[in-house]
Amino acid sequence: MPDTLTPEHAAERLRELSADVRTAVLLDAAGSLTSATDADRRRAEKLADLARRLFEEVDRATRDWEAEPPEQVEVQVPGGAVFASRTPRWTLAAVAKRGALSSLILYDLHAVLGELEGGPPIRRSESVEERAAAPATEERAAEELPMPELGG
Amino acid sequence: MKEKRKGPLSRAAGIAEGVAATVRRLQREREPRVLVYDPSGYARLVQPEARGHDRIMSLAEEMLSEAAGRE
Repeated sequence: MPDTLTPEHAAERLRELSADVRTAVLLDAAGSLTSATDADRRRAEKLADLARRLFEEVDRATRDWEAEPPEQVEVQVPGGAVFASRTPRWTLAAVAKRGALSSLILYDLHAVLGELEGGPPIRRSESVEERAAAPATEERAAEELPMPELGG
Repeated sequence: MKEKRKGPLSRAAGIAEGVAATVRRLQREREPRVLVYDPSGYARLVQPEARGHDRIMSLAEEMLSEAAGRE
């Protein structure tokens, strides 16, 4: 997995972050499939089409609301849930297992799209053993510096 | 102020109440529903009688079926 997140890896990155994600697709602004966790292209295309239509229906349902257009949607259905998040350039949709924590999945969707839009990369936590085994670098040393205290 | 429970039976009842409340909350969270979030994270429920609600539910169910077919 490259350090900089590319659209081609965004769906897979989401699944790495969320164990409860069963499958995910990334669509571009035109609604075309960009990446998917599913290797079966036909099924991924179908899922992407459904995700695009999902946001179309959400926009239709909320058209008269005096609020900004929804950025994220959560649909709980028997047996699981569907989550989707969008930016002006991308739409990331995921099918999650039953019982998945909504707040976590929504956060991960937001984080992956944020990284795709040039935000800071998602930092994975690592165990003490992994950290000890890794070579010492200035970057690592900076991470271990104490946080500055706030206030006077 | 919440009254402090005394005695083992009372404490056990308190734990059971807590577990029951958690189960109720989890069940509520898994009830079929459509929630939308604005950019600030504020959630709003799309009411079941609202225009498009049934269509959204059916699209989500279709997505779930597609995912199930993959597994």
